Amino acid sequence: MIGSVGPSSDPARTIVEFCRFARERGLSAGVQETLGALQAAAALGVGNEEELKFGLRSILCSSKDEWQLFEECFKTFRGRSAPEPSTNRPTRPRKELTSRVSGRNPTSLISPSSGDDVSSEEGGGQAVTGASARERLTKSDLSTLSHSDMATLERIAFRLFKQMSRRLARRRRSGPRGHVDLRKTIRRNISRGGEPMNLRYRERKPRPHRLVTLLDISGSMSPYSLFLVKFLYALQKHFRHVDTFLFSTGLVEITNLFRAQRLQDALQALSQQPAGWSGGTSIGGSLREFNQFHRRKLRSSDTLFVILSDGWDTGDPGVLAAELVAVKRRVRRLIWLNPLLGSKDYQPIASGMRAALPHIDVFAPAHNLESLLTLEKHL
Amino acid sequence: MGASRTIPSGAGNQDVDAIVSEFERLGYVTDRSLATAIYLVTKLRKPILIEGHAGLGKTEVAKVLASFLGTRLIRLQCYEGLDVSSAVYEWNYQKQLLAIKIEEGSDTTVEEKERHVFSRKFLLERPLLQSILVEDASPVLLIDEIDRADEAFEAFLLELLSDYQITIPEMGTIHATHVPYVVLTSNRSRDLGDALKRRCLYQWIDYPSLEKEMKIVRTRLPGIEEELARQVVRYVQSVRQLNLSKPPGVAETLDCAEALLALGKPQLDQEAIEQTLGFISKSFEDGAKIRSAGVGNIISQSTGGI
Repeated sequence: MIGSVGPSSDPARTIVEFCRFARERGLSAGVQETLGALQAAAALGVGNEEELKFGLRSILCSSKDEWQLFEECFKTFRGRSAPEPSTNRPTRPRKELTSRVSGRNPTSLISPSSGDDVSSEEGGGQAVTGASARERLTKSDLSTLSHSDMATLERIAFRLFKQMSRRLARRRRSGPRGHVDLRKTIRRNISRGGEPMNLRYRERKPRPHRLVTLLDISGSMSPYSLFLVKFLYALQKHFRHVDTFLFSTGLVEITNLFRAQRLQDALQALSQQPAGWSGGTSIGGSLREFNQFHRRKLRSSDTLFVILSDGWDTGDPGVLAAELVAVKRRVRRLIWLNPLLGSKDYQPIASGMRAALPHIDVFAPAHNLESLLTLEKHL
Repeated sequence: MGASRTIPSGAGNQDVDAIVSEFERLGYVTDRSLATAIYLVTKLRKPILIEGHAGLGKTEVAKVLASFLGTRLIRLQCYEGLDVSSAVYEWNYQKQLLAIKIEEGSDTTVEEKERHVFSRKFLLERPLLQSILVEDASPVLLIDEIDRADEAFEAFLLELLSDYQITIPEMGTIHATHVPYVVLTSNRSRDLGDALKRRCLYQWIDYPSLEKEMKIVRTRLPGIEEELARQVVRYVQSVRQLNLSKPPGVAETLDCAEALLALGKPQLDQEAIEQTLGFISKSFEDGAKIRSAGVGNIISQSTGGI
């Protein structure tokens, strides 16, 4: 029984201690929840441990993952002899982010030039780079850039991405006039005996697209993937609904990491993900995984589905084609951005790419900044 | 409160037991985990958020809870683009226009006219307003598939769930006389806001164990042979292991068993599986997977060990 296990014999106190214990381990057990837990315990009594556990669980958790976390917390709390936190801390790695920056590729994600210092440099960037240099940079292939060029390019890119999304937002707002708003019309015209003289309109609510992106981070994409991650971050800020995934041999959802307010935070969180950076590729398999678990995120009326990949697939092209068909059926537009398309003599002959082509609405390059910016017209 | 008569009082145990057995009498097989949460809903008057895969009886919880409490069920089905005028209230414009026309000749003042056309008579009550206006006892308010509505609506809902009041500019603020029991369900197609989640009790419904599913089949289809029920449940449970894009829920098990009863099949053979495949898999790809996994194997699994 939980009341007898804790260091104190007062059940209320034990409950409070348990809540604190759970909070330390990542459950959202604030003051509200602690009060709720006490109420629940009062209602259930402490006589039956199982019920008490179920009750506390329904109060302290708010997702399936937290259920599992709760299970461990409860067990540890019951069996603990000496309070020793941080033995296993399954979720919420947030707090330890800054201290643990390791790994090969992910670390380089956090280049010193990125992040909030970029946004504060809106006006200043111009002075550093002349117009012609800018021209050159936006057109050159990302894989050929030197480190310092890359930094400059990122500054430019961030600004341009912002402009692009501002344009997108504007475009969405204008449009055909909405329906007559009967409610307002009546209100306005009561003094004229309800004759609808002045019509009031209800503006059509902007109906933003949903954006689902899958970014290939396998080895062959590594010259591009870091920059593309930043592109995606900029892009997603301006859709009401975004789901972002990385894939190589498997699929990893990073939507939540990308919600971070600052790019820096997002990238740092990303570098902690065991996403198989620079590994092999199974596009078909990853898409299958997507269709299996995330299909509900697609709505045929307004979803843009963007795949960023070079199409080098080690899997079965048949699977890739079949899964693409399944995706295609549920989206408004299927866009494939391929960095290799930038080189003049590229032919989409990789078996995966060839299998995919018939099902793609827009097939466009993504090898330099300019090509990414032209993506705007498809959004 | 009107409903408190029916809620068992006293500490713990028997009350949760009572919920388990009473729910079962009403045709809903539950476990102690869910029953405890339901008990807390009635006791603490907090909303409950139920998540889980499709077809596991999330919506059913609200229905059974309503009959358990002997109260009304008010249901709001969420969808993308759900707005206040279809969830809360709307004025009956046509009727208002007519009323204004009719009163044209009379010498009532503009203010009186206004008060008249904005009275309750002209108000179309939608589910959320209904749940607040119920006069005799707390109703059960089911907000189904909240994950399908957008964030704006979620924010509105949060406001409603904290104060249980609705403001209509033309009429003023309406307070709930009886705070409803609120059940929210979600299929997890998107993450809900933290604020809303924290306001609710949480319950995850997983696929049932073999025993529980057997019990459900027996409860819902009392006429079924024990043997056939066991075969169907085993069959569906092994199909769930197949990595389908849409694994069958309990609803599918029941449909399949019911179909077999209707077809007069004494047992689940190759032919029966083929005939009822449409109940188990809802897409062509899944059906093909079930077939290629070897229907025979599944049968031998589901008939074996009896």
